[in-house]
Amino acid sequence: MKGILNILKNNNKALFGSVILFMFIFVAVFAPLLTDHVPNKRTGNPHEYPSPIVKIAQASPDGWVAQNLADDKRTLLMSKKAEHVMGTSRMGRDIWAQLAYGARVSLGVGFGAGIVVCFLATVIGISAGYFGGRVDDILSAAMNVMLVIPQYPLLFVLAAFIGEAGPLTIALIIGFTSWAWGARVIRAQTMSISEKEFVKAAEVLGESRIRIIFVEILPNLISIVGASFIGSVMYAIMMEATISFLGLGDPGTISWGIMLYNVQTSSSMLIGAWWELLAPCMALITLSIGLAMLNFAVDEIANPQLRSNPGMKRFEKMQRADKKARAAHVKAEPPHFVGEKDLASGAK
Amino acid sequence: MGFFLRRLSFYFIALLFAATLNFIIPRAMPGDPVTMMFANATFEVTPERIAAMKELLGFVDGPLYEQFFIYIKSVLTWDLGISVQFFPLSVNTVLGNAVGWSLFLAGTAVLFSFTLGSILGIFAAWRRGSKFDTIVSPGMLVIQAVPQVVTAMLLLFIFSITLRWFPTSYAYTAGVTPDWTSWTFLKDVAYHAALPLLGASIVQIGGFLIAMRNNMINLLGEDYITMAKGKGLSENRIVFNYAARNAMLPSVTALSMSLGMAIGGQMIIEIIFNYPGLGTVLLNAINARDYQVLQGQLLVMTLFMLFFNLLADMLYVLLDPRLRKGA
Repeated sequence: MKGILNILKNNNKALFGSVILFMFIFVAVFAPLLTDHVPNKRTGNPHEYPSPIVKIAQASPDGWVAQNLADDKRTLLMSKKAEHVMGTSRMGRDIWAQLAYGARVSLGVGFGAGIVVCFLATVIGISAGYFGGRVDDILSAAMNVMLVIPQYPLLFVLAAFIGEAGPLTIALIIGFTSWAWGARVIRAQTMSISEKEFVKAAEVLGESRIRIIFVEILPNLISIVGASFIGSVMYAIMMEATISFLGLGDPGTISWGIMLYNVQTSSSMLIGAWWELLAPCMALITLSIGLAMLNFAVDEIANPQLRSNPGMKRFEKMQRADKKARAAHVKAEPPHFVGEKDLASGAK
Repeated sequence: MGFFLRRLSFYFIALLFAATLNFIIPRAMPGDPVTMMFANATFEVTPERIAAMKELLGFVDGPLYEQFFIYIKSVLTWDLGISVQFFPLSVNTVLGNAVGWSLFLAGTAVLFSFTLGSILGIFAAWRRGSKFDTIVSPGMLVIQAVPQVVTAMLLLFIFSITLRWFPTSYAYTAGVTPDWTSWTFLKDVAYHAALPLLGASIVQIGGFLIAMRNNMINLLGEDYITMAKGKGLSENRIVFNYAARNAMLPSVTALSMSLGMAIGGQMIIEIIFNYPGLGTVLLNAINARDYQVLQGQLLVMTLFMLFFNLLADMLYVLLDPRLRKGA
C-alpha cells in the first residue's frame, strides 16, 4: 500500500489517472446519493436546459449565455424550474442521473472485459511461451488468426445475432474476441524470461512447472499484464460505447453508449441540445484520458528507459533539495557578525 | 518463395476460419435466424422463398458437416447470398457499391496520418526530450485513446451543425451525377470527405508518430549516424537521408496493415457522417436485420485485412535486402 502511495506521489501521470478513475468509480458507486432523479423515467420536460444555464440566462437575459447557449426561448421557458443539473434528454430524462448510472455500466463492462481479456491473454500467452512445441504452434496459430480477423465487424455480427445484448454479454464478447494481442506480447516475454538463469535453476532443482510459472515467471510479467489490462479496459469501454451507439445494445439499460444512441436517433444535435451530446462525450473523453495516463505510468514504472530523462530529473530534484537544505541551514545559523557587533557594542 | 507459400496458406486458413465463424454464429444463437431475417422483409414472404434462402445460407436438411461444406463452397465461389433489405440485389452488389467509398476514405486517411505522424515522429526523435517531444508525443496518444464515436460526433456537431462549415452527410451533393473527370465534382467530393477524413485520421496519427519516433531513437545511436555527423554532413541530410530512411521501414509495412484495419475501424465514422461506405451499409443492415449483409461484411473486411497483410509481407521483402537473401 505504501509502495502504491509512493508511486502516486512521484509520478504525476499515475496520480492524475487514478484521481480521474476513482472519481468515476465514486460517481458510479454512489449514483443514487448523488442524483435527485431516476435515470430511466421521465422526470421533466423534453430538452430542458441545464439548471446553471437557466439561472444565468434568467439573471441576465441579454448576456452571452442567454444569447448563445440558451437561445431557444421556448425551451428556456419550459425549463424554468431549473432542477436538472445537466438538463434533460428528449424523453425528459435527467442527463446527470443517466450519466451517473451509466458510469456503472461503462466501468462494469470495461473492467469485466478487461479481466476476461487479461486472464485469457495471460493463460494463453504463458502456456504458448513456456511449454513451446506443439502447444505453442497451436496457440500461436490461434493468436495470428484472431489478429487478422477484423475486430469491429466480428463484434457487430456477434452482437447483432445475440440481439439487444446486455452489458454482461457485451463484456463477454469483447473479452473473448480481443485477447490475441496481449497473448502475443506475453508469449514473447515469457519466452525470453524462460531462457534466464533463475528459471533454468528452478528447473534443475526439479520444481514443478506450475510453481515455476506462478512463482518464477508470472511476477516478472506483472507490468506487461498490468499494461494490457488497462489497455483492454480502455478498449472495452470504447467498444461498449460503439456497440450501444449502433443500437445493438439493450435499449433498456443506461450506458454512455445508449445516451449517444439516443442523441443520434432523436436528432438532438440538429435541434441544438448540446448538453445531451456533451455530457456522455465529456465523460468518455475524461475517462479515456485518465486511463491513458495510467497506461503511460505503468509503462514508465515497468520500463525505466521510457522515462523522459530520468537521470536529469533525479539530479535536478537532488539539486533543488540540496538548495533548500542549504537555505534552511543558512537561515537557522545565527548571523556571523552579530557576535562581533555585540562584542563591539559591549566593548563600547 | 517458401515464405510466401507459408503466408498464403496461413491467410487461406484465416479466411476459412472467418467463414466458419459466420457459419457457427447463426447456428449457435437461439431461434431461427432465417425467420428472424424475414421479420422485416420488404417483399412478400412465401415458403418457397424461405426455402430458397435457407438453401443459400446452407440451412439445408442434412447433417451439420454437409451444411458446412455447402456453406464453405458458397463462400469460396463468392456467392454471399441475397440482401433481405434491398431484395432483388445480391449482397455482392450492395457491398460493392460501398467498398469504393470506404477504400477511398481509408486510403486517404491512412496516407495522411502516416505522412503527418512520421514527420512529427522524426522531429520528436531528433529533438528527444524537448518541449515538442514531451507534449506532442503523449498528446497524440491521448487523443488516440478517445473513442471514435465521441470524436466524430463532436466534429459533426461543432463543424457541421453549429458552425456550418462542412456538410453533415453524403459523399457529394445530393442530386449531382458523379462525373469523375469534372473538377467541380472532385472538389465537391473533397469538401464532403474533409470531416470524415479528419475524424478517421486523428486517431491514427499517434500510432505512426510513436512508431517512427522509437525507430528513429534506436537508429540515432548507430555508428553510421555518428560517422555521418563526423563527416560534417548537414543536419537535414543526416535526419532525412540517413536516419529517417531506415526508420521508415517498419512504418511502411505498418502502413499497409493499418489500411486493412482502417476499413473496419472507420465504419463508425462513416455512420456518423452518413458517408456511403461499408459502415452505413452495416448500420442499415443492423436496423433491417439483414444478416446476410452483416455476414458478407465480415468476410469482405477479413479479405481486405488479409490482402493488406500480404501486401505488408511483400513490401517487407522488397524493401529490406536482409530478408530478400533469406527468401
